[in-house]
Amino acid sequence: MMGRLIAQNRAFAGALALFAALFVTYNLLHPRGFSSAVFVQNANEAVAIAFVAMAQTVPVLMRGLDLSVGAVMTLSACVASYLLTGSGLEISMGILAVLATGTAFGLMNGLIVVHGRLQPIIATLATGAIAIGLALILRPQPGGNVDGDLSWAMTNTVWDLADTYGIAGGGEAWWIRPFADIPMPLVLLFGVALLVWLPFKRTVTGRTVYAIGSAEGAAYVSGLPINRAKLAAFTLAGFFSACAGLYLALQTSTGNADTVQAGAYTLNSIAAVVLGGTALAGGIGGAIASIIGALILRVISFYFRILDIEPLLQPLIEGLVLLLAVSAGAWRTFAVKNRLELFR
Amino acid sequence: MKHKLAAVALLTSLLSTAAWAGPEIVSGPGAEPECFAPWSADTKYMQWPAKEGPYKIAIVNGFVGNTWRIQMIKTAKAYAEDPAIKDKIAEFKVVSTGTDAPAQLGAIEDFINQGYDAIVTIAVAPDGFDRVIRLADKNNVVLVPFDNVLDTDAVMQVNEDQLAMGRTWAEFVLKELKAAGVTGGKVLEVRGLPGNSVDRDRSQGINEVFAADGGNWEMISVVGNWDDGTTQKVVADAIAVHGQFVAVVAQGGSNGVVQALKDAGHPWVPIAGESENGFRKAIAEYRDAGLKGISIGQSPGLVAIAMKAAISALEGNPMPQLISVPLPVADYTTLEDGKNFWSDLPDNFFTVNEFPPCGVNISGPAIMAKDESDVN
Repeated sequence: MMGRLIAQNRAFAGALALFAALFVTYNLLHPRGFSSAVFVQNANEAVAIAFVAMAQTVPVLMRGLDLSVGAVMTLSACVASYLLTGSGLEISMGILAVLATGTAFGLMNGLIVVHGRLQPIIATLATGAIAIGLALILRPQPGGNVDGDLSWAMTNTVWDLADTYGIAGGGEAWWIRPFADIPMPLVLLFGVALLVWLPFKRTVTGRTVYAIGSAEGAAYVSGLPINRAKLAAFTLAGFFSACAGLYLALQTSTGNADTVQAGAYTLNSIAAVVLGGTALAGGIGGAIASIIGALILRVISFYFRILDIEPLLQPLIEGLVLLLAVSAGAWRTFAVKNRLELFR
Repeated sequence: MKHKLAAVALLTSLLSTAAWAGPEIVSGPGAEPECFAPWSADTKYMQWPAKEGPYKIAIVNGFVGNTWRIQMIKTAKAYAEDPAIKDKIAEFKVVSTGTDAPAQLGAIEDFINQGYDAIVTIAVAPDGFDRVIRLADKNNVVLVPFDNVLDTDAVMQVNEDQLAMGRTWAEFVLKELKAAGVTGGKVLEVRGLPGNSVDRDRSQGINEVFAADGGNWEMISVVGNWDDGTTQKVVADAIAVHGQFVAVVAQGGSNGVVQALKDAGHPWVPIAGESENGFRKAIAEYRDAGLKGISIGQSPGLVAIAMKAAISALEGNPMPQLISVPLPVADYTTLEDGKNFWSDLPDNFFTVNEFPPCGVNISGPAIMAKDESDVN
């Protein structure tokens, strides 16, 4: 049973093993060892890129690329920097509005791709620029205000959340004890993955996304809802990007229309998707695998803080490690039965 | 209601712990005022509890990949080996996180968790560091942003006065224009990386001075990202659209300004720019042909002063919250080959690196001439 599960998800299992090895070694080498503070810090650093990687996964699964994910994240963060303040109700509405902003932007991407019949890569290159433009109008200078309690609670452990809002006996109730040291950012990340991604994957629309990536023609003649799946894929990408933006705003308490950062996140999201084992050719992989990919990407850079590596050589070494990790995933191609598959 | 009370109680306890740990606000004067000059008369002073040396110091850089940043990293490494401070440093690490706020915040927090004593950083954004400032204070870690500083007075920071730099550029250009009898016309302003506090302050200084002047100046702004290539392109475009400018004020990418003017056959006009070696070479070459230039630099050597300030703070000395490093100004009357520019060195090299009042005597050419193994 277990063996079959691994055999069917070889790329994912490989990514998970690589991540586990890197993360355990990092903690062994860390001068303070594994601790809640280090875990929280690691988690905080990884969440935004993990959400953006999830966003990128959905279009990649149908053999497209979304070059707007970083920009939509930035736009959502700028919106959040205006709305995450005030009473509990106002903040809740603000969160919904932020998520709606990104989701609507994703839907627009989908409409342009489906009805405008543009290649996703070109369509999203253009809409990404629009998102950054809007973000710059909202925040010509970095700034804004985010509720301090919310920001503190969401960027620490479950205990801090309970303590901040006085729930579960201020974090002392017996039933919350086992979870007390889990970082909130991971709860949010895997919560969204389990509540949004997994159910979506099981729907006909979700399966159609995979089918489009494997063979769009075959999916079409099988009568699968191609257009609906494409719309859903980009909308979902927008939603995940908005989650990233929301978290970024909570983490920094501000909004910043940082063009360079948006571009870096888009590129890193593609790297994370590949590291997680999702094929750029589409049809294979998933958003949870991309979370692992994003975590690998982050852990590699953690090493520069505990090892003595010449600063100007760090980017080179990071690139080499990345190349090795990605190449490991490419072993798959040697097992392909029909070589023509590689040229499709 | 109970929840609300609990939240308030937590917030107060957080605030009060923040008040216990971290620096104390004290009255001046601080240590070595000739080096650590306070920004203004209102600048407050901070004092951390003295710690036993030697110290663990980390540098968390953001973007890496232009000459300035590379020169900065090399200067930091060379300064850490300087006999004056070598014995005070137990461990020294430099990392670059790229333009990625979560990664930079994460790296700072990681070094705090690792038990570092001081963290010197170039912030990727002027805002959003509340959490790491709180953690640094809680652990009595001295956090020193320099160059791109934070919009807060809760940490000790080191910079050159960007507003004054903008004003000095504009004042020089106005002086030269008046001397040439020009009382109005189009002035080209080349801006830096958008969304950045340095870009904002420099531009504000430039525009303030022109607006206050009685002349009939029309400001045309283009964005050059402090990059030679981008600047050359946007200046060439501006010349194509507007024909002729009476002067150019560029925040950076000054080599690109000179090249674009040359290519377009634009007559030489007063130009204000950064401290790139190529720009200074051009001023020296064409000063008699009308290139009345001023060159003021943001020095990569600022990192050494930030490190020195961090150590001084760890030793328990009172320090100004905002340390102003004097502007290194040179104009067409004061440029001298081999002294403040080097005709045998590349154009994109930043000329200003030393600060004698601070004992920072690492000359730029010496650093860039060495290969990595020598600097180690």
